Amino acid sequence: MEHAYAKALVFVIERGGKPLASVRSLVRVLEREGRMALLPRIVHAFKRLAATDSVRNSVVLSFAKKNTRVSRKMREALRELGVAKKDVRVEVDPTLIGGWRLEGRGTLVDVSYKKALLDIYRATVAQ
Amino acid sequence: MNPSTVQKIIKEIESYTPRTAHVSVGTVSAVGDGVVTIDGLKGAVMGEMLLFEETKGKTLEEGTKQGAPLYGLILNLEEDSVRATLLGDVARVYEGMTVESTGRILSVPSGEEVLGRVVNALGEPIDGKGPFKKVTMMPVERESYGVIDRKSVSVPLQTGIKAIDSMIPIGRGQRELIIGDRGTGKTTIAIDTIISQRNEPKEKRPVCIYVAIGQKESKTARIVAHLREKDALSYTIVVDAPASAPAALQYLAPFTGAAIGEYFMDRGRDVLVIYDDLSKQAVAYRQLSLLLRRPPGREAYPGDIFYLHSRLLERAACLSKEKGGGTLTALPIIETQDGDVSGYIPTNVISITDGQIFLDTSLFNKGVRPAIDVGISVSRVGSSAQTKAMKSVAGTLRLELAQFRELESFMQFAQDLDKATAERIESGRRMVEVLKQGNGVPMPLAQQVVILYAAVNKFFIEVPVARVRECEAKLLEFFDASYSKILEEIKTTGAVSDELKKTLSLALQKFKGAHGELFT
Repeated sequence: MEHAYAKALVFVIERGGKPLASVRSLVRVLEREGRMALLPRIVHAFKRLAATDSVRNSVVLSFAKKNTRVSRKMREALRELGVAKKDVRVEVDPTLIGGWRLEGRGTLVDVSYKKALLDIYRATVAQ
Repeated sequence: MNPSTVQKIIKEIESYTPRTAHVSVGTVSAVGDGVVTIDGLKGAVMGEMLLFEETKGKTLEEGTKQGAPLYGLILNLEEDSVRATLLGDVARVYEGMTVESTGRILSVPSGEEVLGRVVNALGEPIDGKGPFKKVTMMPVERESYGVIDRKSVSVPLQTGIKAIDSMIPIGRGQRELIIGDRGTGKTTIAIDTIISQRNEPKEKRPVCIYVAIGQKESKTARIVAHLREKDALSYTIVVDAPASAPAALQYLAPFTGAAIGEYFMDRGRDVLVIYDDLSKQAVAYRQLSLLLRRPPGREAYPGDIFYLHSRLLERAACLSKEKGGGTLTALPIIETQDGDVSGYIPTNVISITDGQIFLDTSLFNKGVRPAIDVGISVSRVGSSAQTKAMKSVAGTLRLELAQFRELESFMQFAQDLDKATAERIESGRRMVEVLKQGNGVPMPLAQQVVILYAAVNKFFIEVPVARVRECEAKLLEFFDASYSKILEEIKTTGAVSDELKKTLSLALQKFKGAHGELFT
C-alpha cells in the first residue's frame, strides 16, 4: 500500500506538481481516511524510489587514467544518451587498463581494454 | 605456452572487433531463492537471456578467474522491473550489480558431437570430456510443428519389452507416458528401450536422449555406466538436472532435451527422448512460479502448468516427407502417489499423451516384472505402427490376459472349476511368466515373435509354471542354433506368412522332442 502512495507522489511531482503542496495534499487524504499510521512507511518507500531513480538517471563515465581527453566517440555516446557533459560523473577506474566505459540511464557502452581482453580470453578458453 | 594456444589467441585478436554498440542494462534490486529482481532493462523480452556483469571494478586477472559467465532467464516482465531466474550460483549475485541484456533467447548446443555425452540443462558438457567444437545452437523454446508438417505414426519403435511391443506398441513420433509409483521400474523400461535400439540397423537407429530431472546424481551416474556397459552410450545423450540443481535448471532440462532432439529430427533422423520425470519438473516449476509471485492454482501449481507440459510434448512429431520425415518420440515419466492416477499432474499428462503404460506396485511385489498393468495401459496410435509379424501373433494376447486376471480374482473364493476355466487359468499363468523379462535384456523383434507365437498357441501349457522362463531361454537358444533362418526371415520381412507359421510349429515340435524333460 505504502509503495502505491509513494509512487503516486512521485508521479504527481514528475508531472509538475509542487513537492510541498503534493505532500500536504497526501497528508490531508491520509488524515481523512484515517490512515496516518501509513505515513512513516510511505516516507521510507518514497526514499527508496528516489534512490532507485537517482541511480537510474545517473551517468558515469569511467577512464583508466586521470586527465584522459574526451574523444569524439565518447561525445557521440553521450549525445545518444541525451546527457549534458555537466551531468556526467567522471571516475577513474584503473582496472579498465585502457579505453573508457559509459554507464547510465539503462545503457552501457564499454570500450575498455579489459573488456576486449576478457572477450578474447573467453573465446580462446571456449575453443 | 603451447604453440596451438598461441595461434588461437592470435586468431582471436585478429578477428576481434570491439563492440561499441549501446547495450541495454539494468541493476539488481533484490535477490532471493534463485530469483532476481532487476530494475531497468527497457525493451527486455520474455525468455531472454541476461548476463550478470561480475567483472566491474575487478582487475583483469580476477576477471579471468571468474569461471563461466553467469546468466539469467527472464520469466516475468513487470511495470518497472523484470524478474529473472538464475542459471547458476546465486552467491555470485549482489544488489546493485549491473545486468546486461543479451538479445538472445536461451539456446543449447546440438549436433553429432553431442552424441555419447552428458550435458547439463544449459547444454554444457559435464562429463569431463572437454568442450564442444562444432555444434549448432538450438532454441530451447520453439513452436512445435503444425498439422501440415506432420503425418501419421507408421513406423514402430521397438522397446525390446515383450509386454509393450505386443500389447502397447509405440510408434516413432508418438508420446507414450510411463506412469507408476516410485520403485516400480519406470526408469528401467525407459533405459531398456534405449538399449534395445542397439538391435536396430545403424541407419535406422534413433538418437536417444535421456533427460534426468531432479534425480540423484548417483542414479544418473549408474544409468550412464549401464548404458556404456551395454554399448548404448554412443547413440545416447544424457541431459542431467539433478536434485541439487536450481529449480530453474530442473524446469529447463526437458526443453533442452527436446531442443537437442529437434536438431536431429530436422535432419530427417529418428529421435527418442525420455523425460525422467515430469512430476519433478512440475514441482520445480511450481517453486519458481511461487517465487515469481504468480497466482497459485490447484495444489499451488500455477495456471499454466498444463501448457508447460503440452507445449513440451507437442514437440514430439512424425514429420512429413517434405519436412524430411524425421520423428521425435517422447516417453515422459510420471510418478504417482499410492497408485493414484487421478492426481492433477498425472491426469494432465495422460490427457496430453497418446497412451500410457501403467506400472502397478502389487504386480511388482508379486514378481511380475516389468509390472505393466495391461488392463489400463493403452497405446492410442501405436497399433498402426505395429509390425505385421507382431500383430499376427499378439492379436488375442491382451484379451486372454484380461480374462485370466478376472478369473484369477474369482478363483480366490471359488472351489470347483470347470475344465475350460482351469485351462484358461493355467494358460494365463504361463503367459504371465512368458511376459516377464529381466532388467537390461531387451529382446529383438524376431525372438519376441517366436516366443509369443509359442505362448499364444499353448506351447508352454505342459511346462510347469516355475520352468517356463527356463524353457523360453532354451527355446531361443534352439532357434538361434538350428532355425536362425526363421528369425532372419521375420526380421527382414516383418511378417509371419502361413508357410512360416507351419515351419514355426514344426520347429516347436522338434524342440519339444529334444527337451522332453521340460514338458510334464
